[in-house]
Parts: sequence; structure tokens; C-alpha cells
Amino acid sequence: MIKGFWVILRFELFALFVSPATYVASFYFLALLGVGFRFFIESFVLTDWILPPLASLVVGLVFGAPALIPFLTMRSFAEERRLGTLETLMSAPVSNLGIVLGKWTASYLFFIFITMASFCFPLIISLWFPEQSQSLGFDKVEQWIGAFSFLLIFGASFSAVGIFASSVTNNQMVAGMLTFTLLTLYLSFMIFYFGENIEFQFFSGFAQIAWSSFGAVFGGLNKMQYFSVGIIDIPTVLYQMVVTFYFLILASTQIDQVKK
Amino acid sequence: MSSERKPLPIVEVINLRKSYRSTEALRGISFSIGKGEIVGFLGPNGAGKSTTLRILSGLIAADSGEAKVCGVDLAEEEGEVREHIGYLAENNPLPEDFRVIEYLKYRASLKGLKGSRKRDRIKSVLGMCDLERKISERKIGNLSKGFRQRVGIADSLLAEPRLIILDEPTIGLDPRQSAITRKMMERLRGEVSFLLSSHILSEVEACCDRMIILSHGQIVAEGTLVDLQNKFIQSVAFEIVSKAKKIELQRSIRQIDPQCVLLQDDPVEITGRRRFTFTCSKGRETVELILRTLLENQSFEISEFQICRPDLETIFLKATKQNWQEMDLLGRGKSKTDKPRDGIS
Repeated sequence: MIKGFWVILRFELFALFVSPATYVASFYFLALLGVGFRFFIESFVLTDWILPPLASLVVGLVFGAPALIPFLTMRSFAEERRLGTLETLMSAPVSNLGIVLGKWTASYLFFIFITMASFCFPLIISLWFPEQSQSLGFDKVEQWIGAFSFLLIFGASFSAVGIFASSVTNNQMVAGMLTFTLLTLYLSFMIFYFGENIEFQFFSGFAQIAWSSFGAVFGGLNKMQYFSVGIIDIPTVLYQMVVTFYFLILASTQIDQVKK
Repeated sequence: MSSERKPLPIVEVINLRKSYRSTEALRGISFSIGKGEIVGFLGPNGAGKSTTLRILSGLIAADSGEAKVCGVDLAEEEGEVREHIGYLAENNPLPEDFRVIEYLKYRASLKGLKGSRKRDRIKSVLGMCDLERKISERKIGNLSKGFRQRVGIADSLLAEPRLIILDEPTIGLDPRQSAITRKMMERLRGEVSFLLSSHILSEVEACCDRMIILSHGQIVAEGTLVDLQNKFIQSVAFEIVSKAKKIELQRSIRQIDPQCVLLQDDPVEITGRRRFTFTCSKGRETVELILRTLLENQSFEISEFQICRPDLETIFLKATKQNWQEMDLLGRGKSKTDKPRDGIS
């Protein structure tokens, strides 16, 4: 069913690691994130931030994702469609799902790579300033695991959105802008529902279930309070998995349209 | 039961149809290709050649009809069919940033080749397509059109397919590079079946066992060159190279044989002389009489005259012209007195 997955994954990872655009985007992203994190840590005591300081890094990565993800995903299908190499790829004995999953996994792994690189900032503080890091809570492993898990699940859905956007056009720039717009909209909804009670009283029956599902997806940021202290909220994991699969299936369907 | 069973054809197409919105690209074509055959797929632009090749490669689906490759139905087992096919797309799209060897390794892996077989096949196709070591280390984006085309052909040969589909393989190649492609096909003749689409008719004539001519989504001619010559040009064909005007030459010839037909609409002019091809249904003696008559007229300035077998170009033009006349696409067939037609006959 996913024939060709490993070969495409290796090829895409190689393409990402040899592309200068990926390195430039990653460097600027990490640099800005590092500067932001430094200033936040410095002024932490003056803020009314209720979550552990490590969560600020997660917030930076999540809200910075609309700027980073397009660089990782916009090339994947749009460039292949522009060059016509998608046709050559599809003439090989590989499945559509194998192609989509291979490309998505490559961009997702690169996102994880950047996430791990960003976690070097608190790690450096822990190694060089052990006393300060203890007071900031950087010595608590559960906070690291929670923060990393949160980024893992949101990174998966964000990169799936990027892959879908890349599959609908043969222009890289359009794919990039579409990814940025979709992710910004997605985050805007999450901000809108932040701290809100999602259960809506106007609906009943199926409509209420449907609304609750949407609300649960968009209420993802609410769950950061659990993840930041090391509690993995399984429904949030499942909801983001649904979003990931939904966009990957959409991308696969879009590739199928090429055949018509 | 007969002990000698007829081998299954490599390609079997029955009543294949495909439309793009309101345009009918294929109007129910049927043909087959035997093992080891090299078949030329010809037709004017928009005839449906690439559509047929893309359907057979599993890239697009047909609206109706049946297409089997190596006995496997494309509609049911598209993935399996791709394992038997090597495909070179029109314009041969390739990733620019990769070295030839890297690209071939990637394609070999996609086609399921592993370990020593993968290494051997890559080495073999590099040799077959004359892509020596120095070229194989270069980036595809820096290669000339000819070398890029050879990379595409090498890719199509990688997995030892039973059918190789080449869509315009020699487009943009110089004569030496075209000869290499022909040599490669000659080397594989009998082992692998080729379906080759091309506008270079002399090349198809030189290397194909059989030709299929397509026009407006229909097969208008099919067979070996001799079959097509017999079918389309029953009369004696002759060529005249002259400075004469077309009308004057035609008038003189028709005084001897009113049925004599000029095959080209607009004969090619080179350095003031034109090459006219006529057909005469009255036999060789009449053609010789025509020559004697024309030579007596000094103003025609005839520099060449030969009785010839019609080439593929002549057959191609006649077959497609006949189809256009049948479909009334030349705008000549319909007069005011004609009754309106219900459909295309």
C-alpha cells in the first residue's frame, strides 16, 4: 500500500539537507527563537507567565511554525509538478500514499531536527548555569518530555498542512503562501478558543458532537498547561493525528486528480 | 488442444476511449503489440498518441475500453503493470540538482532493484546509453539536451522491463545521438517490446517493425511499411525535381494521364527547385511517357526524375488527409446541397 515510502523518504531528506534555502530558513528561525528565548528568560520574573519557562520555547516554535513549515514543504509537490518529474515518479511502481507519506515524513523529520536544535538553548543554560536553570525548572525531565511531545504532535499536523498546500499548485511561492495562510488561520482559531469552554449550548445531537470535535481540535493550545508539566493529553494527540491524516489524504486525493 | 499456443501479446488494447471535458482524445482504438516488436506510433499533434502512451503507463485512466500489459489489466492492477514498463515521458522531465549516478540509483531503488543487481543494472544501462563515467558524475542540470535524453532512456531500461514506452525519444537529438538510441533498440530487438512515438518519420521507418498511424483519436493505418505502401499507394509513384510551377507541371502531366495525383499540397522548395511526388494508376509505361514529354519542354528544367516506392511520410500524409476528409476537417466536403450529418462516419 505504501510502496516506495522508504526510497522517497531517503530522497526527500537528502533533497532537504542539500538545499541552501532550508539551511537559511532554519538558521534565521533558530536565531530569532534563541534571541526571543534569551529575553524571555531574562525578564521571566517580571512577567505574569503561569506556565513553566520551558513552555515559552514551545510557544515560540508553534507560533513561528507558519514561517518555518513553508520552507520545508513548499518544494515537495509544487516543484515536482512544475518540472514534470511527478509524472516520472508516478510511472514507477510506487503508490500515491507512499509518495505523500514519504514526502511528509521527510519534512516532519526535518521539523523534529529543528525542534531538537532549539532545545539546545535551555540545555546550554542547564550546563553553564546549573543554579539558574534549577530555579527555572530546567532540571525537570517531565517538562522536557511534555514540551517535546507537544511539538511532535503539532509539528505532524502543521507539516501535513504544508504537504497538502504543495500538492494543489505547481508554484512553490503559492504553495508557501498557502501554507502560511492555512497555518495562521489554524493558530488564529486556537488563540480564539484559548481559555474558552468549547462546549457550545446552541447545538444538540450530532451538531453538538461535530462542534465539540472542531472545538477540541482548535482548543489544542488549552492543553499546553498539561503538556508543559509532563502530562500527555491523549485526546489532543488523537485530534492532531486526525488533522494530520485528513490533510495527507487530501494531498493523496489531489495527486490522484493528476490522473484524470 | 493445440500444442503450439499463440504467445500472449505484450500490449492488448480494445476499444479504448478517453475524453478531456468536451474533447474526445481517443475514439475507441484497438491494437496489440507482440513480444519483441518495435512499433512506431505516429500521428499529427493532438492525434491522441501521448494520451494512449500515458494510459498504457498507468499515469492516467481511460474512460472506457480495455488495456492489458503483459496480460495484466491496467484498470485492475495498475501497480503491477508499472513493474513491466519502462517509460520515457515527452520532454523527459528530470531533477536538475542531482548527479546522473545519484538519480539512476534513486530510480533503481524505486523500481525495487537492490544490492548487486542494482549495481549491475546501473552499470549496464550506463554502458548501453553511452553515459561514460565522466558524464555520470555530472549534475543533470548541467547536461546537454542529448545527454539528458540518454539519462531518461537509461532510466526506462533500468528494471529490465518487458515493454518500453518512449514518447518522442529523439526529439532535439543530433544525428549521432539518434543513431545511439536506434542502436540501443536494435540491441534489445526481440527481447523487449518498444512502443515509440515520434514525428521523425525516417527514423520510425528505419527502426520499427510496424507502424500505427493515429489521427483525431482514431487509428487510420496500421501495419508494416510494405502493408501500408500497398494499402495507400497502389499506383506507381514518381518524383520530379524541377523549377516549374506546380500548376503548369500538373497541367502537362494530366494531358497524358488525367488521373495522376500530386501527393503534396505544397512541395518543399530548395534553391529554387521543388520536389514533386505524383502517383500514376496507369503503370510504368505511362510514367515513362510522362518523363519523355516533360523533358521535351525545356522551360521545366527537370534536374531529377525517379520512380520510387512511397516513403512513410507520403503514406502518413495520405492516411491523415483521408481521415481529415472523412471528418470534413478540411472544409471542402460540405456543399450547400449536402444534407446535415448526424455524426461522424
